[in-house]
Amino acid sequence: MTILALHCIDKKYSESEHYAVKDVSFEVRQGEILSLVGESGSGKTTLLRLIAGLEHPDAGYIKLGGQTVVEGKKSVPANKRNVGMVFQDYALFPHLSILDNVKFGLKGKVNQPEKKAKETLHLVGLNENFQKYPHQLSGGQQQRVALARAIAPNPSILLMDEPFSNLDAMLKDQVREEVRQIIKTTGVTAIFVTHDTRDALSTSDRIAILHKGYLQQIDTPKNLYESPSNGYVANFFGRRNEILATPTNDGFYSNFGFIPDERSKYFSGKVRLLFRPEQAQAKKNPNQPMSGRLVKQVYYGDHQLLHICDDDGKLVYIRTNPYKEFTEQERIFFSVKRFGVEEAF
Amino acid sequence: MQLTKQQYYWWNHWMIGTILILILVATPLLTIFLKLFETPGTSWEHLAENLLFGYFKNTLFILAGVSFFTFLLGVSSAWIVTNYQFPGRRYFEWLLILPLGFPGYIMAYTYVGLLDYAGPIQSFLRNSFGIQIKGSLLDIMNMPGAIFILSITLFPYVFLLARASFLQQSKTLQEASSLLGKNNWSTFFRVALPMARPAIVGGIALASMEVLNDYGTVKYFGVNTFTTGIFRAWFSMGDAATAIYLAAILMVIVFVVLYLEGLQRGHRRFSANNSMTKPLVRIKPSLGKRWTLTLICTTLFMVSFFVPLMQIFQWVWLTWEKVIDHQFFVLVGRSFGLAAGVGLIIALLSVILLYSLRLSPFKWLKNVTKVSTLGYAVPGAVIAVGIMIPLLSLDHWIIASLPVGTGSLILSGTLIALVFAYVVRFMAVGYNPIEAGFQKIGIHVNEASRLLGRGTCKTLSKVDLPLVKTSVLSGILLVFVDVLKELPLTLILRPFNYQTLATKAFDMATNEMIAESANASLIIILTGIIPIIFLNRLIRKRGLLGKVGNSE
Repeated sequence: MTILALHCIDKKYSESEHYAVKDVSFEVRQGEILSLVGESGSGKTTLLRLIAGLEHPDAGYIKLGGQTVVEGKKSVPANKRNVGMVFQDYALFPHLSILDNVKFGLKGKVNQPEKKAKETLHLVGLNENFQKYPHQLSGGQQQRVALARAIAPNPSILLMDEPFSNLDAMLKDQVREEVRQIIKTTGVTAIFVTHDTRDALSTSDRIAILHKGYLQQIDTPKNLYESPSNGYVANFFGRRNEILATPTNDGFYSNFGFIPDERSKYFSGKVRLLFRPEQAQAKKNPNQPMSGRLVKQVYYGDHQLLHICDDDGKLVYIRTNPYKEFTEQERIFFSVKRFGVEEAF
Repeated sequence: MQLTKQQYYWWNHWMIGTILILILVATPLLTIFLKLFETPGTSWEHLAENLLFGYFKNTLFILAGVSFFTFLLGVSSAWIVTNYQFPGRRYFEWLLILPLGFPGYIMAYTYVGLLDYAGPIQSFLRNSFGIQIKGSLLDIMNMPGAIFILSITLFPYVFLLARASFLQQSKTLQEASSLLGKNNWSTFFRVALPMARPAIVGGIALASMEVLNDYGTVKYFGVNTFTTGIFRAWFSMGDAATAIYLAAILMVIVFVVLYLEGLQRGHRRFSANNSMTKPLVRIKPSLGKRWTLTLICTTLFMVSFFVPLMQIFQWVWLTWEKVIDHQFFVLVGRSFGLAAGVGLIIALLSVILLYSLRLSPFKWLKNVTKVSTLGYAVPGAVIAVGIMIPLLSLDHWIIASLPVGTGSLILSGTLIALVFAYVVRFMAVGYNPIEAGFQKIGIHVNEASRLLGRGTCKTLSKVDLPLVKTSVLSGILLVFVDVLKELPLTLILRPFNYQTLATKAFDMATNEMIAESANASLIIILTGIIPIIFLNRLIRKRGLLGKVGNSE
């Protein structure tokens, strides 16, 4: 079931500026975790604020839970939308205790706000010191309180703005997994904004990529990574090699050698072969279809990256395990397991 | 969630408040501006022929003189206090701000009393050395005297802003300058002073506003300026149109000063772009020089604050039994009540304006709202005239439309007119700290509250207000003190026979009861000192002067 639908949303902050968001449409299904990814200034936070009702779009409409919440000059105000939000700086109320922060959005005596607030705090993994104030907590704990506060009133959708950006690297991996667990336990639909591709790939069911206000692609992490719709999306998730090649009857011929592949029949002109560094395998054994000269190797601890160059000086990058020993200027043989093909011109 | 809950996205009921407040506050200034295009009053010709040139000359001369001396005193003392280590330095940091608590008019007649035949200096000379002087030791009841009085009460504006700027300047810049071969003097003139220029000019601009606002000092000293001209046209000639004309010209002068202040900023940046300023290491000069610096600062403090304060204490000692009676307490209570009331009203209006701004999606509204703070730059006498005119015509309209004639005026000449005028004049004083408070807490807490289902009113009372509480209180306090010492506006608009501490002190002083007036003066000065100390702590913490209305 679709819980949120955006249709052709435009937003400009002032006349002179570029569009912050332009012609964006997508839908989110009940219980899904969607992440909005892009560089700073790509419009991802703006989109979140439009959904929340904190900004008003110049064009387009938004439907939330089957109801139109924004259309034309009219909108349902933020406080009537039943949307939960975790801010990047958490925006906890500094003058209220943790318990009161979580209770803030719970109305009416009948629903037992105190009990519900405590339950939610337990759910996010906080079990004591409910009378403490936000500044007395660590960053990770503050984030849990912010999450508890947002989900306590059972919002129809949970929005998170860069939820992991204020946490240090060690804590981040752990919190990310916990947050995903909590969201899945409550079954709430969640949208979160991030510029970190690792966050997006590991946490979300689907990812939407924004660039300069335009939606580039929206798909599952695996599809996005393996079949990006354009070069921007491809490079966003890391390096991608591009080799110019000529199709023959049974494969592609390039400066690095010949790769047998059946898809070559469908092409006549020059093509580009596209693959990520880890989709190739480097060997010392000359029994491989392709080869090049090793010009540089960079050590990253859990892997190393080989810079391999053809006779024209064009580079490809190949990821390999860090224990293999290579010497520079040595000839490296490699095979490419999976790759994409597109016409070069 | 129903469609019926939809509303225009830009609408919130706070907008009504904003519009009303802006109209109210802009009325006096607009009135003055519009009257400029009407024919001047009957006595205008006479005034233009005989007096106007004198008003111009005197006003500009005092402005120039006070600007020069506040610059000299303010910048040098600020530089000494921030850059040299000498005995008592820490105390002078705030002692030199205290003269701000002395209203110019009180300083004026205190000095007249000090130098008088019966004053302590002459008595001392007479009794110890038998030196007899006819009349005053030094006649200061003239133009140079007015410049002297205004300079010693207003130099702290320049001192404050220059010091804040010197403190913010990165020490590394000065070190770079000395590594490039410049000595202390050269560094001061080529690096520190140019970098502090916007702050210094800002301070001088503030002092200039006060000079243009001043009525008590120039009136007491018999120097005719635009303010005294307005009073003369209004009270002596009863010619409102001429008063307005003068007020309009004065307002033009004010905006020229403000424009020049804005102009000098230009597009240059004056702050180094790193927040990693090294802690200032103060230069420790030789012993003799150290004590010379102490002596310089002590003299400045003595002349600008301590000696006049002691004189006031002496007068209070001599006269308090006679002056402090039941009526005096009524006067104090009334003044405090009035000042606190105005403080509360301004805080309320500021919160409405700022909260509406906070909720609005329109960025340009910020500049429109700033209009409400313009009054701080406009002299009290001008505002008084600008309020009197519309209120008088409103009164006439009401009287004419009432079936039974009441005969008396309803709005003009009542407390309502006075409070209205205070609000227009001191809006900026309360508005700016509250604005800073809202900025400090950020918009996210407000948005978080609304997303949790609270409406705008609930959010204000449960989240925003508790968080900006201290800013609101400091706004009220600052307004309180300014209202307490305000003179020209009160003189024009007060109801018949209505006295505040300021008008009482001024009336007594002008009626040859300087010693008696000291009781009221002392209360004004002592209350004035509280926010100064408080302000100083603010600057130490943030390097900002929250009170400055037009500096940014």
